[in-house]
Amino acid sequence: MTAPATDTAPAVVQRGSFELTLRRLLRDKAGLLALAFILLLVAFALGAGVVEAWTGHSAFEQYRDTGLTPTGMPVGPGAEFLFGTDGLGRDVMVRLAYGARTSLTIGLLASVLASFIGVSIGLVAGYFGGWADIVLGRTMDLVMSIPVLLCALALVSVFGPSVILSVAVIVFFSWTTIGRVIRGQVISLRQRDFVQASRSLGAGPFSIMIIDILPNLSVPIIVYTTMMIPNGIVFEATLSFLGLGIVPPAPSWGGMLAEAASNSIYLVAWWLIMIPGAILLIATLSFNILGDALRDALDPSGRPARKRRKASKP
Amino acid sequence: MRSNSTAALMALALSSATAIFQAGPAFAEEPQKGGTLRILGSAEVDRFDTIPPATSDAVNFQRAVWRQLISFAASADQAEQVKAVGDLAEDVPAPTNNGLTYTFKLRQGAMWNAPGGARQITAEDIERGFKRMCNPAIGSPHLTYFENLIVGLADYCAGFAKVEPKVEPMKAYIEANDITGIETPSADVVTFNLKTPANDFIYLLSLATAAPAPVEVLNYMPDSPEYRANFISNGPYTIESYVPDSMLRLVRNPAWKPETDPLRKAYVDAIEIVAGVQADAAMQQLQSGDGDMLYDHSIPPASAQMLIAQGDEKMSTVTTGRTRFVWINTVSSNNGGALKNVKVRQALSYAMDKAAIVQQLGGPTFAKPLNGIFPPNVIGYHEFDLYPSKDAKGDAEKAKALLAEAGYPNGLKLKMPYRNIGSDPALAQTIQESLKKAGFEIEISPVPPADFYPRLITNFSNAQNGVWDLVPAGWSPDWPGGAAGSIFLPQYSYNGTHGTFNFSDYNSDRANELAAKASATTDAEESVKLWQQVDEAVMADAPTVPLVAVYTMLYHGPAVRNFLPYAPGGQGDWTNVWLSR
Repeated sequence: MTAPATDTAPAVVQRGSFELTLRRLLRDKAGLLALAFILLLVAFALGAGVVEAWTGHSAFEQYRDTGLTPTGMPVGPGAEFLFGTDGLGRDVMVRLAYGARTSLTIGLLASVLASFIGVSIGLVAGYFGGWADIVLGRTMDLVMSIPVLLCALALVSVFGPSVILSVAVIVFFSWTTIGRVIRGQVISLRQRDFVQASRSLGAGPFSIMIIDILPNLSVPIIVYTTMMIPNGIVFEATLSFLGLGIVPPAPSWGGMLAEAASNSIYLVAWWLIMIPGAILLIATLSFNILGDALRDALDPSGRPARKRRKASKP
Repeated sequence: MRSNSTAALMALALSSATAIFQAGPAFAEEPQKGGTLRILGSAEVDRFDTIPPATSDAVNFQRAVWRQLISFAASADQAEQVKAVGDLAEDVPAPTNNGLTYTFKLRQGAMWNAPGGARQITAEDIERGFKRMCNPAIGSPHLTYFENLIVGLADYCAGFAKVEPKVEPMKAYIEANDITGIETPSADVVTFNLKTPANDFIYLLSLATAAPAPVEVLNYMPDSPEYRANFISNGPYTIESYVPDSMLRLVRNPAWKPETDPLRKAYVDAIEIVAGVQADAAMQQLQSGDGDMLYDHSIPPASAQMLIAQGDEKMSTVTTGRTRFVWINTVSSNNGGALKNVKVRQALSYAMDKAAIVQQLGGPTFAKPLNGIFPPNVIGYHEFDLYPSKDAKGDAEKAKALLAEAGYPNGLKLKMPYRNIGSDPALAQTIQESLKKAGFEIEISPVPPADFYPRLITNFSNAQNGVWDLVPAGWSPDWPGGAAGSIFLPQYSYNGTHGTFNFSDYNSDRANELAAKASATTDAEESVKLWQQVDEAVMADAPTVPLVAVYTMLYHGPAVRNFLPYAPGGQGDWTNVWLSR
């Protein structure tokens, strides 16, 4: 909790807390590795154009002479195509890079939007209580009780697949988790003295929520938002795998896996499953590990961090 | 009409089948009787009755339990596969009365497995089959073919349409009314009188829907649970047990006599059709010998490539009547009605890289570029190409020039939904990429398979409202051989009312005139020439862009011998294989 920090001289203590956090984070090797991979992935995604220029292959062009056998089978990893080609003779590496863009964009966008909605609703429900809490709380229950995939499939088949719809579906089904956590935290925070003090000084509910309560929620927000990114990525991959996410020929990891699975092409082309599958696995794992590491680092009262602190004290 | 209106219909819809290589030690061994043939499929046999619309896969089931007047031999020989021969009819009669009258003599000893014991199939049973075709409960999808030909059938059906769709009134109507054009002068002779000469009438009689019906079935609704429970077969097999969505087991029909059936040897004792098996699993079971044949699966191209690479001799290829093509929407006002302009459609025809489609489908073993509406093995097919390009790779320059001439020098943006299943997504992207070179920007969108034909494409208002501009489609003729009519009439002719499968009301008076002549003539050679002219006349207007004629790979387990293609079913004939375990 950073709560004590606001009580005393903020500038100095907050810097100390940041330093402490950073030190704890730097001590977490798995977290650092995850962070390094994520940075690499971001660079890969941002540099998709560079990858394209370097290989000289566009993400959409079908290399029917060099990238496919005369019987339409893909070509394995080699000098011309580092990660091989897919069933349509396109360069897997270039598509992977552009797919990383799609996945990261959707993952980030969806988790930021979801946490914005979750935090707003959690704040309002927790702070006001009463009818607001009943209505918003039951809405969260309702959303959580909807079978996610079934509903997503129905929505997509009605409106047709698109990036915006994918994001909307992911957001709609992931804001509730963070919403509940925030609501719980706010219920306990609003009883605290500093909130009472603010109120007695004449602060309105809006100002109390934003200025007094919100900064105290930074830890769960950061941690949950980070943890939601891999969920978003996997969910997008799931939708695309089912042919309901990103519309081909736009590349996405889930779509690449789906193309590999259709027509049993994976039987002859292992790289179509292994490469996007591995990168998807490592990416989601990295975000999860990073989220864990952030929680440990930001929250000194958490169990793993205390254990480590004890171990490092003597 | 066998459109590809459902996923299953599309799965193995084949017609004229030719073995390109027919291998195996089959011919060396002595045929043996007995054993259970295991057929693996994803869906179950959808219809037991002959009348309601069934998937084309069910044709193989019908072969085992039903006999109709005319059928085809299972054969490795291409010509023999598509030659109509007598099944219940003793032979194939030549028409009399200027091609208007066909008289069939029924084979004696061909029996119903009736509840009261075996009973001879009579001329009246044949007529009863035709009467059931337009029952008001579930009619036959092939009715229009017959209604336009047989004297009095249209009137009979008009009267039947007014009957309440319940067992009693339907039975009463069938018993009280006759089709004037079908005469039964004696128990073993049936005569059909036609309105106009039709040289494909004999082929029409090979459809399951033209099978006879025993008098008992009038007591049940078509294909109802009661019908299924009281199933009366006249083929070599009958139903022993049926577990929905799981297994259908056929056993020998005691009423069937091998000497009365020249087409079916019926070596195996029982046939099990197992449903709910995925394509991959089915292939593995076939390879291990746990399964014998496939029901509705087509072999995934990657598996086929592996089997070819391994030199597996149980693999065989069949030429199918199945074609793939792209329909062009000429009724919408998208892009200012650009696609109504024949030059734009011709530009699309020039631009299409058919070689890429062939490659995508697995190479020349699997498909052949097609330039007309008729596939090889169907009457009217001939080598011609009104929009030629080198190696069938598409002529982007010519296409661009035509497009500019039509007033679109900057290209065109077109919408193309596709069925999101199997190889269709890959094909859609191949088409998109090949048209891009000529300046067409194709916006593709996946559509769930179950919605594609029923909701999107066969719904004419979607065409009028410009929901789609192009659509990749497929077609299989309803019978093998002289099936030009079953390709041309439903898709490329328009008589004022919108036809389900003529997606944008295409009409050519010249083609219609030629087709009418081609169907009427008794001179086989002239008929071929006329159908060829029909093909060219249609292609000049470019209502569709033909892509490829598809060959299908067949595979069977190691125990299966005498695996001979049965053309209408596009599979090895269940009733002629034998097992060596």
